[in-house]
Amino acid sequence: MNSEEGFEPVILGFLCNWCSYAGADLAGVSRFQYPPNVRVMRVMCSARVDPTFVLEAFTQGLDGVLVFGCHPGDCHYMTGNYQTERRIVMTQKILREVGLSPERLLVDWVSAAEGQRFASLVSKFTEKIRELGPLGSEAVFEKEELVRRLKASSDALADDRLRWLVGREKELIEEGNVFGERLPQEEFDHVMLESIRREYEKNRILLSLGDGALTVKEMAGRVGLSTREVLKNLVVMEGEGLVTVSHIEGSSPKYIKTGG
Amino acid sequence: MVEGSDARIGVFVCHCGTNIGGFLDVPDLVEYSRRLPNVVYSKDNLYTCSDTGLTEIKNAIKENELNRVVVAACTPRTHEPLFRSVCREEGLNPYLFEFVNIRDQCSWVHMREGEAATEKAKDLIRMGVARATLLKPQEEIEIDVTQCTMVIGGGVAGMTCSLSLANQGFDVKLIERESQLGGLLNSLHKLYPNNEDASRLVSKLKGDVKKNKRIDVLISTTVSNIEGFVGNYDVTVKHGGEDEHYKVGTIVVATGAEVYRPEGLYGYDGENVVTQLELEQLLRDGGLEANSVVMIQCVGSRDRDRPYCSKICCMNALKNAMIIKEVNPESQVYILYRDIQTHGTRYEEHYREARENGVVFLKYSPERQPVVEDGTVRVFDELLGEELILPFDLVVLSAAMVAHPDVKDLAQMLKVPVDESGFFLEAHVKLRPVDFATDGLFLCGCARWPCDIGESISQAFAAASRSSVILSAGRVVAEPIISFVDEEECSGCGLCEMNCPFKAIRVEETERGRIAKVIEASCKGCGMCGAGCPQRAISMKHFSDEQLVAQINALTGGGL
Amino acid sequence: MGEKPGSVLIIGGGVAGIQAALDLGNMGIRVHLAERAPSIGGRMAQLDKTFPTNDCSICILSPKMADCSRHPNITLHTLSEVTNVLGQAGSFKVSVRKRARFVKEKDCINCGACSAKCPVKVPDEFDAGLRTRGAIYLYYLQGIPPVMTIDKEHCLYLTRGICRLCETVCPRNAIDYEQQDEELVLDVGAIVVATGFDPFDPSVITQYGYKRIANVITSLEYERLICASGPTGGHLKRPSDGGHVEKIAFIQCVGSRDLYHNPYCSSVCCMHATKEAILAHEHDPNVSSYIFYMDLRAAGKGFQKYVARAERDYNISYIKGRVASITKDGDENPIIIYEDVDSSEPRKMAVDLAILATSLVPRNGVEGLAKILAVETDEFGFLKTDPFSPLNTTRPGVFACGCCREPVDIPECVLQASGAAAKAAEVLRR
Repeated sequence: MNSEEGFEPVILGFLCNWCSYAGADLAGVSRFQYPPNVRVMRVMCSARVDPTFVLEAFTQGLDGVLVFGCHPGDCHYMTGNYQTERRIVMTQKILREVGLSPERLLVDWVSAAEGQRFASLVSKFTEKIRELGPLGSEAVFEKEELVRRLKASSDALADDRLRWLVGREKELIEEGNVFGERLPQEEFDHVMLESIRREYEKNRILLSLGDGALTVKEMAGRVGLSTREVLKNLVVMEGEGLVTVSHIEGSSPKYIKTGG
Repeated sequence: MVEGSDARIGVFVCHCGTNIGGFLDVPDLVEYSRRLPNVVYSKDNLYTCSDTGLTEIKNAIKENELNRVVVAACTPRTHEPLFRSVCREEGLNPYLFEFVNIRDQCSWVHMREGEAATEKAKDLIRMGVARATLLKPQEEIEIDVTQCTMVIGGGVAGMTCSLSLANQGFDVKLIERESQLGGLLNSLHKLYPNNEDASRLVSKLKGDVKKNKRIDVLISTTVSNIEGFVGNYDVTVKHGGEDEHYKVGTIVVATGAEVYRPEGLYGYDGENVVTQLELEQLLRDGGLEANSVVMIQCVGSRDRDRPYCSKICCMNALKNAMIIKEVNPESQVYILYRDIQTHGTRYEEHYREARENGVVFLKYSPERQPVVEDGTVRVFDELLGEELILPFDLVVLSAAMVAHPDVKDLAQMLKVPVDESGFFLEAHVKLRPVDFATDGLFLCGCARWPCDIGESISQAFAAASRSSVILSAGRVVAEPIISFVDEEECSGCGLCEMNCPFKAIRVEETERGRIAKVIEASCKGCGMCGAGCPQRAISMKHFSDEQLVAQINALTGGGL
Repeated sequence: MGEKPGSVLIIGGGVAGIQAALDLGNMGIRVHLAERAPSIGGRMAQLDKTFPTNDCSICILSPKMADCSRHPNITLHTLSEVTNVLGQAGSFKVSVRKRARFVKEKDCINCGACSAKCPVKVPDEFDAGLRTRGAIYLYYLQGIPPVMTIDKEHCLYLTRGICRLCETVCPRNAIDYEQQDEELVLDVGAIVVATGFDPFDPSVITQYGYKRIANVITSLEYERLICASGPTGGHLKRPSDGGHVEKIAFIQCVGSRDLYHNPYCSSVCCMHATKEAILAHEHDPNVSSYIFYMDLRAAGKGFQKYVARAERDYNISYIKGRVASITKDGDENPIIIYEDVDSSEPRKMAVDLAILATSLVPRNGVEGLAKILAVETDEFGFLKTDPFSPLNTTRPGVFACGCCREPVDIPECVLQASGAAAKAAEVLRR
């Protein structure tokens, strides 16, 4: 899927009431023109943006999402924008796992006095999305697969594991864990990426199980992972009580989701 | 109150004169709105915010039994309170109102996009209607206002503001970081336009402040932390290494500005080449001995680093030039200028007087700046069209007024913005010149922008008035945009409590186990907890997950 | 021993008067806002956009006007003038004459049926004389109160006993020719004067050709022309032939900094000329503007940036030099004859439209008001204030804000108004 002639991206923008929304208004008052591709949703703080909202936007076919907050240190709610950045960076990582360009999700900072900056950022982002093409044109799989993958990501982001991890990032890095051991950012990033992959794969497997029973091989075929990777995940998922063996077909166990 | 499918929505699309109507197809938007789910009434107005427009909204609510109102117009930042009030007056909960921004973020920025701009407006209205459908009535929270103002900065602005508030019967804490009040006034000699003695003015102010029992003056004191919200600010100050805490209702920033030290410009050395401020010292001490004085305007102002005009330097130079002439009528005074800023009724005559008294004015252009060499200044006179060489005993640089370098710290404590020149940014440049966007915070004097004493005084009274409005009410009504916890879903993990910057959510022991509870008075409604809760147990009033997702769904129409 | 009066009189319902009223009303103090015109709004309502944000003027003023009219502590008295003041700070007794509107405010629904029928044609004041109105008319579209008014000087019935057409077509029976002027006596503790300014009439500067040359207009006339709710619906047209405008000259300091007329600087004209040139360009990118100035006064917040942007992006040239005179050619094009300071030669420039930035002078009638209030005016007729007590007039308890003191821009009017409110509150709460 290459970008079509005359493709007009549709972009969702989350703007925080105090800085970026005011900056956008200032762009208006100053008549700084920019392309009409962005649809703005106003929130009080950029930290209101749940990563699942971003996934909702992509799941429904939007080509790009931007989240603008106050400059670091200037957040009206003090630390909101720090949380925003961590969550959006996490979401960008999962988009990469899906096979989408993480550049489709932008987090940046615009102050109430920066009308020109707002217009420039929006213009640049619109251009970038135009280059990338419609959602999924950078991927090698079809629309149905994209939908499944996005759903798995959304489930992963809605689940407690990743939310807990990203929520504790600041504390782990700056204050340390229960043993007082501080985690260097690099190590944390490594842990985060591993967790993202695990949760993503887990949810893809769960989705593939749907309402039916599948063998490891069938699952592997559906989600495009090796049987070894599927099995590794299943072991953990069984331990978490998410899946169980329902019956054996020939020599292969058939797994189902537990608890419906 | 009804919600969801029982919503009866009225949509009002504003032309805003031609600001919207000139760029978007407003009749089309009205037609389009009418066909949206749950919309029972749709109309356009020339100016929805005019009395006529407001009456139309009220009548429409009555006659069509509307229980939701959507206005598509300029921006909620200026006009949401107005329309909410109108809803309230008509018996409709003000939080059942939704504003769609189709001017500042649509018609004004897509002036040449034609249909695409109207299509964008349709999307935005559709999103707004979807959100309105799910809005719920909210009850505002009333909080008592502490009957005290903190004024940060004890210069002319800070003292004037404090006195006005005290005279209105309010208590004031006046914080000054130096060891005495007075600010820049302490360093000045005479004040324009009438050559009033600076020391006399500052002594009077200091005396009045000292006498006034309502004003608690804290010198050698700095602000180290500010928490809270309008009516209830908790300020920590540092004095002699000790921390002190004060509870105040409002805060006024009157921290002033300073004079730029023009290091490296025009041979500045503080001796033969001085600033106007240093000249004031010389004049005060009577130590000025100069027969030929060259003043250079716009030093450090109107340049690449500081493109703004410092406003007061021209009058200041004129005043000092005349004083020099008075002290020594034989002296030669030159003023090298770019534009002479003598605005208003009182200042122009001083320009005329100076010229009549033999002060020589030479216009220079920024492309060809004067050059200060050994004992002479070389300047290209734009009006004569030739270069002049002026001998001098003293060069006086009218240096820029600049923001204090530590303004950023205070700005961060207050969580208020500063502009690119470091001056505090007010809520609205035209109609709210001394308010910050955050309720309960005000500003006056040179902290806002270079201004002279008279202007500082006017602004100080203005800030006092704005502060008085809040203190007089005795109570503030806090927006009910706060978090709420679904206690069934909450697992008591404590992540919310850990991350909340306002300590507004705490995990408590209950019979059902550990559950997070919101402290409504402290919750600021940022939504950080909700977007991060591992169990998705927290949402926000008026910005709930359902409402936000409904907006996204409305935009896309449902799916890939 | 009566109760201390808890109210304030504000004279003038422009942006300054409105701001002072709102601040005092929100402090819990009762306010009487007296406005001479049929509606509040003042000069700001006549502007199209305001510098340096280019906000739509009436858009930002309207909510404040609406707040005023709905405020439980504020009583609006339009068509009202102060006729007498007795007492002192803390307890003034003020007589106010409320002129008859001849229209019942409660019943008029602003349908316009009456004004459509009125056979009288007189110049419309709000639109700076650029169009005509009837004897029964709406002062302006967004006015408050939003009701009609009958101008008794030109009404055929009230002057000659004939016509009465408006009465016959009014669907609400709102016309009342029998209405009388009312005399009110108000007990107030303080008075705030906010009477604003008038534009100087440049006809006396005959060499600029105002009124002789059709395409030489004043800034206020330009504001009405370019305003969407003005006489041409916001289209910039040449007054002589309705033709296209592509080249505009702005002449600054018309009547200001002029020893024969007003020696002072009117402060706001450099900025409003810049704004007006920007607006012209926004309407039509082919427009080029030339601003003839003496000293460019752009010292306020954000002003230098605004001017730099104007020069850079809006095809605006600033020419330093006094305009000696304006003549015209056979096509009614104004010819600007000026001394170009950079080359020191006299030059000519033909333009489509010339706009005179006229001086700001005290409102007509302020001299009389000052006598009634027993406050001094300065040599220009503005209310006299002290440089370091800028909001005090010469009479205790009477305060001044906005352009009645000296020409200032809107942010300055607003903050002075708030300041005057604080001073009035101090008097009441002493």
